[in-house]
Amino acid sequence: MNNVYILGGAQTDFERNWSKEGKNVVALLREVVEDGLHNIGFDYEDIVRLNRENKIACFVGNFIGEYYINQGHLGALLTEVHPAFHGVPSARYEAACASGSVALDSASSHLRAGDYEVALVIGFELMKTVDSKRCGDYLGRAAFYEEESQGIEYPFPKLFGRLADETVARYGLDTKRYLNNLASIASINYENAKRNPLSQTRKWFMSHEQANLRGGETNPCIGGLLAASDCSQVTDGAAFVALASEEYIRRNCSGRKPPVIKGFGHRVAPMKFAEKMKESQKNEQILPWTRQTVIDAYRRAGLTVDDIDFFETHDCFTSSEYCAISAFGITPCGREYEAIESGRISFAGDKPINPSGGLIGCGHPVGASGVRMFLDLYKQVSGICGGYQLEKANNGMMLNIGGSATTNYSFIVGNSI
Amino acid sequence: MQIDTVTVIGANGTMGCNIAGIFASFGNAKVYMVCRNPSDAQEAYQRAALSVRAEAIGRNLIPKGYDDLDACIAESDFIMECVAENLEVKKAVYRRISSSIPKRAIVASGTSGLSINTLAEELDEERRRQFFGVHFFNPPYSMTLCEFIPSQYADKTQAHLLKLYLRDVLHRNVVEVKDTAAFMGNRIGFQFINLALQFAEKYKYSGGIDYIDTIMGGFTGRAMAPLTTSDFVGLDVHQAIVKNIYENTCDYEHNSFVLPAFVQEMIREKRLGRKSGAGLYKLVRHSGGAKEIYVYDIETQEYRPKRKYSFPFAEHMIFHLRNGNYEMAFRVLVNNHSPEAEICLELLVRYVLYSLYVSRTVGEDIHSSDKVMASGFNWAPPLCVYNALQLAENFERLADRILPAELKNLLDMNEILVDIPSSEYDFRPYFKAKG
Repeated sequence: MNNVYILGGAQTDFERNWSKEGKNVVALLREVVEDGLHNIGFDYEDIVRLNRENKIACFVGNFIGEYYINQGHLGALLTEVHPAFHGVPSARYEAACASGSVALDSASSHLRAGDYEVALVIGFELMKTVDSKRCGDYLGRAAFYEEESQGIEYPFPKLFGRLADETVARYGLDTKRYLNNLASIASINYENAKRNPLSQTRKWFMSHEQANLRGGETNPCIGGLLAASDCSQVTDGAAFVALASEEYIRRNCSGRKPPVIKGFGHRVAPMKFAEKMKESQKNEQILPWTRQTVIDAYRRAGLTVDDIDFFETHDCFTSSEYCAISAFGITPCGREYEAIESGRISFAGDKPINPSGGLIGCGHPVGASGVRMFLDLYKQVSGICGGYQLEKANNGMMLNIGGSATTNYSFIVGNSI
Repeated sequence: MQIDTVTVIGANGTMGCNIAGIFASFGNAKVYMVCRNPSDAQEAYQRAALSVRAEAIGRNLIPKGYDDLDACIAESDFIMECVAENLEVKKAVYRRISSSIPKRAIVASGTSGLSINTLAEELDEERRRQFFGVHFFNPPYSMTLCEFIPSQYADKTQAHLLKLYLRDVLHRNVVEVKDTAAFMGNRIGFQFINLALQFAEKYKYSGGIDYIDTIMGGFTGRAMAPLTTSDFVGLDVHQAIVKNIYENTCDYEHNSFVLPAFVQEMIREKRLGRKSGAGLYKLVRHSGGAKEIYVYDIETQEYRPKRKYSFPFAEHMIFHLRNGNYEMAFRVLVNNHSPEAEICLELLVRYVLYSLYVSRTVGEDIHSSDKVMASGFNWAPPLCVYNALQLAENFERLADRILPAELKNLLDMNEILVDIPSSEYDFRPYFKAKG
């Protein structure tokens, strides 16, 4: 099989509010593209040169720019960034919060097939163009809007609050202990984000005690058991990753090969949350398609959980990270608390989750998140994470979900042997 | 350095209260919030928790009155003085507490510009060694700068450990500064603001205050225009800062610290800014409820509606910044020879030069002023402005073109501009696509 390699990438500072800066989507794209090209040692002339032979293509991940910025046709928007993109194949890919992953998947498929040699993958979302209630309503379109979101304030915290309820009920958990575990997940993500110079919350204060104090003015309840500290926050941002084919690496890279995509998984669960729960009622896994996605990635990579040094997961809410622990295979279903309480998923643990800070700490510009996670896998295995570099990071796995764990994507990135 | 218990003296003031919040949250320390009035202490306690958006720290905050001061201090590892910015008031506090301070305790003044050496001398010799200036900026939750000023008596080991504590535990951006008037941030910031006030007076026939604020809008690297900032700080506070610097420093920008006559007059009339309802600007509520911002017209000495100026250079810059074309934006600024573009350029060039001068003379290194202006003022750091201008033109040539001859005679540009590195900050977020 043709391998797909990772040349490098960039992300914008997720602390920034582009609306407050008065800047538009072209400014956002220009910045991440220029930083990304600089990182891989490319300039615009390289794009022109590769495009002459139809060897380069762009894959843009975005959820719902039509609402947030009144802009569609987002693949073509790169031509506004620079004339070098004139004539370059480019399209937008969408799967709600997994939009970045579907763009990565398309890009790597084309490279494996030998259609192109270099793929530029850009995920982005500008969300701070509207107030939080409207933002919540727009995000509700990642669920089945008519039945699950319309007329409901903050539909997604409520859906993931139902996931929390189901987790407690199905595994017979003590609610207080479960909430304590969720507070640990939140505080670990915030703590990790403090080491990440591009994270949204690096200056914010959060402690386990504050995360566990749900219901006050500074941590209001927002969806069932979940409070504000259990939620990722509205974020502006973009991420860029450059992928290359086996052929390109053979011709252009002497010496050690760059990190490689070792495996991927992609499964789609029923759209509606109630349907998911109904389907999995007799299953040990609450989200069996999420687990299957991870199993597929392990199978394709020929690896098991024992081979994975760290994880980047889709902690849009603490309740989703809780489920991801068993989906990754770190613990059996129903015993996820063991990995939290023992410190295994902490930065210094043997199976650290979200050294970047994740969606809760680093930020969640929805269309960018898949690409951002993938970039962080690349940076960790390359040893270039600076303050948040893990000691052992040969293989990393990511899980990116769209909707209420409807679209599920997993990638394994590791050092080439 | 282990700091479990802190006493904040003057915890009802904005800074004292917010600093208590920082120690109680990031530092997870027990904080005695000592205020003159017990009801103030109770109210400050609630504000402190909200200032770091975390009610959970409430258990760390203990409101106290001055009757309990000695007992609080005796129990403390760190004593943070945040009383009024008045030398005699502060000296009286140190005299009062000197004998109660435990030998292990660190004592810090939150002064924004009084002499740390002078204050240290109020303590006995042994305790003087553990006394430092620790200047937080407002609001400390979002402005992470902490100017660190050891006195000449300071113990070097303690100074080192305290800096690490401020950086690693309280998550402050720590910059060590020499004990000079107004330290670094306020010296650079208020030089710029006061110069902008002088320009407002000089260009009063063109509009004055709102004219200069429009020229120095968000597209020049700040969230708030300079004269609006002065109005927000309060003209009396502004006056105290520039007076302190004028009287206690002497450099090539000395004259830019002279407060314009019209501002002195406004202070006499108690038009102090936002806090007194009127200052350089005031908000007028029309019958029917509509609000309108009025500005003080220096020429007529009356308030008039704020004008909507239209400067082509600013509009073009904003257009390019909106699209992320930073080089194009700065080419417009450098190549547009309108009076407004030239004023803008002169103020920016003088900001860069003065910041680098101050950085070299009172800071740790050339990057000190970048750290200070980014994390204390949220302004484009001087090296960022330098880097941005360099996209369009050689800075030295630009300075030579734009600076008044008399100023060029006073400063040694070669000395200031020797070995200029790139900023460690990304300049792009600072230049807003707005006025």
